[in-house]
Amino acid sequence: MSDAYATTDRLVSADSNVYDRGLDTAIALSVIGFTLGLVTLVNLVPPGASGSALTTALGTLLAVVVGAVGITGLASYTNVVPVTSQRVRGIGLGLVVSTLALTALAAVLPVTMATLLGIVLLAEALAITAAGVSSRLELVDTEPNMSAGLLSGGALGAVGLAMGAAVGGALTGSGSLLWLVGAVVAGVGLFLLAILPREDLGSTLPTAIVVGALGLTIVTGTIGVGWQWNPQTLSGGFTGGAVIPVFLLVGTLLSAWSAAKCRAGFGARGREYGAFLVINLNAFLMVAVMATIVVFVTIKGVGYAVHGLSVGALTALVLLTPALLAAVQFARTPAGTNDWNAGARQLFRVLPLAAIGALAAMFASVLVTGTPLRYAYDYTVQVNRQGQALDTAIAVTPDTSIGTLLLIAPALLLAVTFFRSFGSLRNVGTQSERADSVRQAVPTVVLGLVVLIGFFLVFGPAPFGFPLNETLAFAAVVAGSVAAGGLAVSPLVGVLASDGPTLAESAQREAPLFTLGVFGGLGLLLATLLLQPVAGINPRVGPVNLVPAVALGAAVASLALATLTTVAKRSSEETITRRLLTEETRLGLVGAAGFTALVGLHVAVTGTSFNVLGVSIANEGSLSWPMVMQAYIPLGAEPGGIMPAIIGTVWLVVGATLFAVPLGVGAAVFLTEYAEQGQFTALVEIATNALWSTPSIVFGLFGAAFLIPRLGGDESLLAGMLVLGFMLLPLVLITSRESIKAVPDEYRDASAALGVTQWETIKSVVLPAAMPGVITGVILGVGRIAGETAPLILVLGSTLNATAAVDVIDGFRFVSGPPFIANDALLTASASLPTQVWAVIAAGVSGSPQMGWATAFILLMVVLTFYAVGITARTYFRRKLNYE
Amino acid sequence: MSDSINTETSTDTETNGEQTVTTASPSAETTAGESDERVREEWRQYEFAGDAKLSVENLDVWYGDDHALKDVSMEIPENSVTALIGPSGCGKSTYLRCLNRMNDRIKAARIDGSVELEGTEIYDPNANLVELRKRIGMVFQSPNPFPKSIRENISYGPRKHGDINKGLLARLFGRDDTEKEGALVERSLKQAALWDEVSDRLDDNALGLSGGQQQRLCIARCLAVDPEVILMDEPASALDPIATSKIEDLVEELSKDYTVVIVTHNMQQAARISDQTAVFLTGGELVEYDDTDKIFENPESQRVEDYITGKFG
Repeated sequence: MSDAYATTDRLVSADSNVYDRGLDTAIALSVIGFTLGLVTLVNLVPPGASGSALTTALGTLLAVVVGAVGITGLASYTNVVPVTSQRVRGIGLGLVVSTLALTALAAVLPVTMATLLGIVLLAEALAITAAGVSSRLELVDTEPNMSAGLLSGGALGAVGLAMGAAVGGALTGSGSLLWLVGAVVAGVGLFLLAILPREDLGSTLPTAIVVGALGLTIVTGTIGVGWQWNPQTLSGGFTGGAVIPVFLLVGTLLSAWSAAKCRAGFGARGREYGAFLVINLNAFLMVAVMATIVVFVTIKGVGYAVHGLSVGALTALVLLTPALLAAVQFARTPAGTNDWNAGARQLFRVLPLAAIGALAAMFASVLVTGTPLRYAYDYTVQVNRQGQALDTAIAVTPDTSIGTLLLIAPALLLAVTFFRSFGSLRNVGTQSERADSVRQAVPTVVLGLVVLIGFFLVFGPAPFGFPLNETLAFAAVVAGSVAAGGLAVSPLVGVLASDGPTLAESAQREAPLFTLGVFGGLGLLLATLLLQPVAGINPRVGPVNLVPAVALGAAVASLALATLTTVAKRSSEETITRRLLTEETRLGLVGAAGFTALVGLHVAVTGTSFNVLGVSIANEGSLSWPMVMQAYIPLGAEPGGIMPAIIGTVWLVVGATLFAVPLGVGAAVFLTEYAEQGQFTALVEIATNALWSTPSIVFGLFGAAFLIPRLGGDESLLAGMLVLGFMLLPLVLITSRESIKAVPDEYRDASAALGVTQWETIKSVVLPAAMPGVITGVILGVGRIAGETAPLILVLGSTLNATAAVDVIDGFRFVSGPPFIANDALLTASASLPTQVWAVIAAGVSGSPQMGWATAFILLMVVLTFYAVGITARTYFRRKLNYE
Repeated sequence: MSDSINTETSTDTETNGEQTVTTASPSAETTAGESDERVREEWRQYEFAGDAKLSVENLDVWYGDDHALKDVSMEIPENSVTALIGPSGCGKSTYLRCLNRMNDRIKAARIDGSVELEGTEIYDPNANLVELRKRIGMVFQSPNPFPKSIRENISYGPRKHGDINKGLLARLFGRDDTEKEGALVERSLKQAALWDEVSDRLDDNALGLSGGQQQRLCIARCLAVDPEVILMDEPASALDPIATSKIEDLVEELSKDYTVVIVTHNMQQAARISDQTAVFLTGGELVEYDDTDKIFENPESQRVEDYITGKFG
């Protein structure tokens, strides 16, 4: 209604819009009240809280609100994220004002949370009454209809009915029917009050009566914190602690609706805004429930979960590098046109860099000075009903060792990004003689090494009693390493030796050598590396550790190659050459990461650390996180951690996914693409839906009675994987089927018209287009099975406080008879996060409740990580399908 | 599907005759008296110099109980543009889809009769569908590029047929056809008159192109597998006039090297670009087939004249 201010004989003019700002604040207060209602409902702040507990809670809320509104305001002011709506601005201001007022009130008056909430409701009632009356008296310009309408009347009448019944029942006691009289009087009264007067009164007065009544009962203490009501007709009862938050939720929803209608001047616009706000709060409730659960579990569990976390400064720096690079990239993006606030916008871009840079500087200073950073907090654990202080110190130590995983993981990431963009170039590599001659040698060498590995695998390190490993294997390792090193360096040599007129020309001419050098070198060195443990020889050849030394040298060569091509690219004008060289740069980087990863792999496989320039690469890095990285220590001073349970859960999810996704997607492809729609597909559909609704405990029983006797007779990881796989299967099938159906038939027609067979079409057109949907199904399913407890208790074995994790990767063994590959680890019982939580918290088996909460927190994190991976994959495929 | 096909060309003419009469009656509601007109055999005879690329004999198609195409016989000359016109539901698209066996994909369709490509029966149960569709390409009514890059769209067919090898393995073995692919993409896009517009963004997603560009991309994709015949099912019906005229120019250009069969609702378009025109009328029968000039200036059939002048259909 802001456009109607201009009339001078009104109370409210464009210059002093008390009406608008007041109602904005009323809406904001409703939102705050709604939030506080949720907070009280989940007991984050109990309704009886007062004094410092209350002011602390409200102070936190104030800080959050001021921070959020402040940042948004600043972003809007500098045009980074412009907020133009007057209403949104007003509500933002109102949020600050009302939170500030509430905090001040709590600081000045000796009130409890409940009383404060009652005051909120009373204030709301007053505000909307004032707004409605001033509209009716035509003090402000509004466009009300003749009535608030039957729907609003019905809703308010229903609320009145419930309130009347409750009040009547409480006053007269059960047995008499007087409560019915109260209900009818209140319900009909509110209904009539809503529909009979003009809309401005009809949608404010009854609301104000309800909200005011709710507020009064709380403020006067009629329903206080200690209040309790046990009607004889019900088996349960009501307590003040539960009723007050519900009052607040209902009251604030009503007042928000009413205030929004007033704010938009009633009429069609008023209804629109009122409805918008109410459904918005509903959606907010959804987010709030999720956030509440995460926050609640985090608060309960995080203190224990991160205790004793310690990390070497070098490792921390390496972990920080991606964030640092991203921040640099972000800071470098131009801030746009050079208007007055471009500088302010630039500030926003530099902020992350400053924060991460400061962190990096802190870690670097630890390395330089050798003084660790430490932070400790008070935490008490309940062990056998006795409080015990926990050593909580979180530290960054001047340790310079690096864990192998840290070297291997980035290589995988880089390889993925490389293959994603591989082969999109038009003029890659003309034929090169140098490359051809090298190429001919590679298969022979790799084949020779593979044969050797197979030989030692079959006959053991010392076949027929001859010490073959001493001579043959050593020779092979030396030859393999040297050949791999030569291959890795060959592109560099090739480019430098090439007689092209420019560096870019030479690089382009020798392009085939790049692929060969990087991938051939990696393959050869990997084979050489694998030969060592298989042949049972000492990885140390003479004074040096040959394989990692060569790998490190090759990594440096690849990095030099990448630098060389980057320099060449800068100097070249031609688009095609530049794009070719971009790919070669990437190849060089993949080589650098890959060879570095081989160093890590070498350490992981042989178990001996490798030192270079004062940095030690070891299997155990300098990261120590007791809760996550340790197994349970039965009789130690510290209880240790839940690493076996984490590993168990990860393996369960991986196994179930590997089992269910190919089967589910395959079946979906058959049903949608090949099978004729008919009774068979209908039957499959019914079976799938039935499978999806089957209770999980039934799956567990089936697994225990059917699978376990057939899988070695004991509870096992494999049985758990299969049972979870069965549970995942229907969801993957249903979602895959839907998304395959949603792929337009035009694609299939187009492909068929090109003479491409159906299977090829499915593989290269239909499935990629259906991929996002398939992944959505897997994400949903993984979320369900990761936390599944009931079937796991039956089939996995509820191994509690496990002292060792299942070692699936190392468990693989070659055996002479069928099935030739065996894995005992899959057939042993394992721990898992949900069963651990269940046992510690619900069944009360040993372990402190704090540890249970920490386990729940970690379970939540594991599931969220799976989500994050899934959502990233889905986004990637979606983007690939639309506009890259 | 193939077992239901009768490769012998004799069809039951009596049954056909009956059905022609019964289904011709709906057209009576348009103009009185015309329904009496019987299609004469000589109207459908078209004599031309040179070889027939495709020859169709006594082709009948049923969708379930619906007799969609009735006893159509026609020969299509090489390196020319043949237009198929007629009102909606007259069976011209059905006919077009029979020429590269796309109707096989419709489960309810039953096809009877013979279609020969340079003397080879395509409805032979042992016919190689992949080879057939490589030789007879198709462009659809609405542009349907794959959600892939422009380059991948064009090289899709040759890659699936094994004519182009790409990727890490191909590169390691020194068989990388990236250059060949580049040449193919360039040639096809130039043939489809799209090269100048997209040459700098071949790796962009094809769905980002405009409708007209997408349709020309589909034509380029079809040309990339090097077909002999190109079937076009109202290729310009979803496009604006400028894009349409580009497609029309393209069709005329293509007819020098390819045999083009085009279905269109736009009679001016048929008149502009085609060498000969076949008119299908309601009920799935071929009424008249002759030189385009003859059809548009002096048709034999009264119904065809009414249709062309806009009195009916």
